[in-house]
Amino acid sequence: MNMTRREMIKLSAAAFAAGALNIPVDRDAGAAGDRIEVDKWVKGSCRFCGTGCGVYIGVRQGKVVGVRGNPEAQTNFGFLCVKGFKGYMSMYHPDRLKYPLVRGADGKYKRVSWNEALDLVCKKFKELQQKFGKDAVAFYGSGQCMTEESYTFNKLWKGGFGSNMVEGNPRLCMASAVGGYVTTFGTDEPAGAYSDIEKARTFFIVGSNMSECHPIIFRRIARRKLKDPDLINVIVCEPRLTSTARIADVWLPADPGTDLAVFHCMARELIKNGWTDKWFIENLCRFNTGKQVVDFKAYVEFLEQFTPEAVEKKTRCPAANIKEAARLFGSQGPTMSLWTMGLNQRTRGVWANNLVHNLHLITGNICVDGADSFSLTGQPNACGGVRETGALSHLLPGTRPVTIPEVRDQVEKAWGLPPGKIDPNPGAHTMQMFASLGAESDAKKPIKGMLITTTNPAQSLPNGHKYWKGMKEAFLVVLDIFPTRTTQFADVILPAAFIYEKGGVYGCSERRSQLTSKCVDPPGEAKPDLWIGAQIAKRMGFEKLIPWNGDDPRTAYKMAWDDYRNCVKLTEHTIFGMTYERLEKSEAGLQWPCPDEKSPGTERRYVRGRDPIMDMPQIVKVPSSARIYFYGDKNHEGKANVFLRPYKGAEEPPDDEYNFFLTTGRVIEQWHSGTMTMRVPEIARSQPNAYVEINPTDAEKHRIRNGDLVKITSRRGFCILPARVVKVSLPGILFVPWFDQDWDRMINRVTIDAFDAGSKQPEFKICAVKISRFGDPKDVADMKIISSVDEPFPVKV
Amino acid sequence: MVITGSALFIEPGTMDAVLEKLRRFHEVTFHVHSESGTELVVNLEADDTTDLESLCSRLKEEIHQIVDITHIYVNFEDEIERMQAGPAR
Ligand code: SF4
Repeated sequence: MNMTRREMIKLSAAAFAAGALNIPVDRDAGAAGDRIEVDKWVKGSCRFCGTGCGVYIGVRQGKVVGVRGNPEAQTNFGFLCVKGFKGYMSMYHPDRLKYPLVRGADGKYKRVSWNEALDLVCKKFKELQQKFGKDAVAFYGSGQCMTEESYTFNKLWKGGFGSNMVEGNPRLCMASAVGGYVTTFGTDEPAGAYSDIEKARTFFIVGSNMSECHPIIFRRIARRKLKDPDLINVIVCEPRLTSTARIADVWLPADPGTDLAVFHCMARELIKNGWTDKWFIENLCRFNTGKQVVDFKAYVEFLEQFTPEAVEKKTRCPAANIKEAARLFGSQGPTMSLWTMGLNQRTRGVWANNLVHNLHLITGNICVDGADSFSLTGQPNACGGVRETGALSHLLPGTRPVTIPEVRDQVEKAWGLPPGKIDPNPGAHTMQMFASLGAESDAKKPIKGMLITTTNPAQSLPNGHKYWKGMKEAFLVVLDIFPTRTTQFADVILPAAFIYEKGGVYGCSERRSQLTSKCVDPPGEAKPDLWIGAQIAKRMGFEKLIPWNGDDPRTAYKMAWDDYRNCVKLTEHTIFGMTYERLEKSEAGLQWPCPDEKSPGTERRYVRGRDPIMDMPQIVKVPSSARIYFYGDKNHEGKANVFLRPYKGAEEPPDDEYNFFLTTGRVIEQWHSGTMTMRVPEIARSQPNAYVEINPTDAEKHRIRNGDLVKITSRRGFCILPARVVKVSLPGILFVPWFDQDWDRMINRVTIDAFDAGSKQPEFKICAVKISRFGDPKDVADMKIISSVDEPFPVKV
Repeated sequence: MVITGSALFIEPGTMDAVLEKLRRFHEVTFHVHSESGTELVVNLEADDTTDLESLCSRLKEEIHQIVDITHIYVNFEDEIERMQAGPAR
């Protein structure tokens, strides 16, 4: 059969789509699917959210020319969202950083060689450490770095420098979820998997506009709901009537920060109506005030204050909706809860996580198919890269606390360090770290230098004003692929390679690690982060600790991965059985625990016969009679904690002067601070600027019409944004997306930097603001990006 | 030129009507449907990704039985050439 190239592409595309949908295709089309219209397809994963969608990257003549979903991937079954398809195009944007740059005396950047740049960085880091101590230089990483990279920087700092000044942006998005899992179950990350979506009957979606932030997970749920609307129930607890809330049977519109009361009220309803699991309560739950252990009766008495009517008054969430939500949750299971930042980015983020876990524990909606309490991650490798490698100031690999002597001892042995090398004291958490960053001459600022990679804290930290001066005055080294608000403060900029230009492992929300192979070469002299980290290690005298400093990325990344595998071999988070060879062969990746090369990985934890850790006494002892056992329990009883957390609202609720709640978040097209997505023209055009959503009642009161410019002022700063008058937000609640780099619309000038006492995660989602009409509609669709490294920061700091 | 392999999710029992209406769209090539008749595999062809978005919007507007459109494969090799040539913003 003679086919044109276009026909071939069409048939291939259709065959892949049919494969993803499990629809049989005729022979010609099927065969076309196997033929190649690119030079090669390279397996990998998407880098634009924590879903971990499997992709194939099409490469032709050394360039990435296409993306297709991987139908065998258990995360997305071949589907991709708009970011997945288009986001990678940003790697070809002319603004890519291609050469190392050093800021000159005139404030302008000068191109230098890698040797010059690295020598300068290492000389300065050494000098600062000698003068001010080992903790004077910090590392700030990202949930977008590859696992091998986070592991390497963590090892260099904690094992090499003996400093725990290691943080990363997952502190801003996931720390409360970690705190929730660890306090409730004794160990981090969910018990179940995405596969529960196809087995659950009721979905409880909390603090997550999943349809925009995790569109492929949402599609899996929506498909079930559309197919069987009477059987499948969806509850959405969220102050805005988002596109996610639109498929809900029950919407729980609680005011921001008040949902703790809603969760307790649901627990009260579950118990009152007998929608609980007696066996689970008696055998697997420990009732805990946070200070002392109490009995079930005390829990019931504690819940009495949370009547539906009282909670409605506190939260504005209708009592009838809460009762119905409890009924669906408890009597129409199995039930799966899913949440993201709405639950985490709070001063009571850990508690909010605890209370959702409570609902699952008292109803037995966990450790069975279709039932789980599941935190979704925002970034592609916050779980795999930062949580699991322990690249935060209080952790070591395997998400284990640095304060535990046995953990330090084991890691020191694995890393070949002398006993006592690892500092037993946690380093500074993110907000503390940036608050401590400053000039050498500033005695109040103990951190004098910082290496930042793959993240943009000058835009993403809340209450930015407070932290910019420190970034400007300290010795700042920034690794990135584009100029950002953060590179505007850098002394040295190191050009980094994009995921498809280097490869490596990402671990998504469901404990699944997937390997991406290198597809193409980076532009100019850009280099993989791993190479940069290893070169710094070599120059600072730690070549033995980080020997993977060669030029071939596959070899270097594999060496780092093997080192990490060995380090966490005998932990509950073991990935020892995930060799590079297995990950390369596997279409879907593998889920930990995966203790040996024969292990298929683990879909469900804590269940005998399904979780290999249950029968690995060398890691944790589990009684042979136990069917379900929460082996992370520090009391060795196999129980999870059901917490009696008192009600507490937001840190800064509205008052007479600042009379609105402000909540911030993402939109489907844009990713984080817009550094990459804003450089894909179609994405930029579809969401060219941030805006403020305001309810028509509030708009009318303030004489604001659609498109008018609105000034939003908090106690910390102000922004000016165009209004979108919509019913999505309830009266009294404003929403602003945070991707916009434009000075007037950078909403983190307004947000609050109060943080959760346990997780240290800031309360991005809630602060009090006032608004006023600023002016007539004006075209602000300027698709602002920072194109030149020499563009100065917009204000003097 | 952008060519996709996409799925149209349509309301149950509307497949024949949808296929009939799809004939009006020369940019759409139908290939195969699921057993339930609620998922259709098609190619969409467009000049660029902006054009693709407007095609999807038109499809949804003019064929109200379409619940959702999702792309499973997108080939846009020409677009990369264009992008490298300079910012088309
Ligand atoms: S849902 Fe997330 S991981 Fe999947 S394609 Fe979209 S951005 Fe990528």
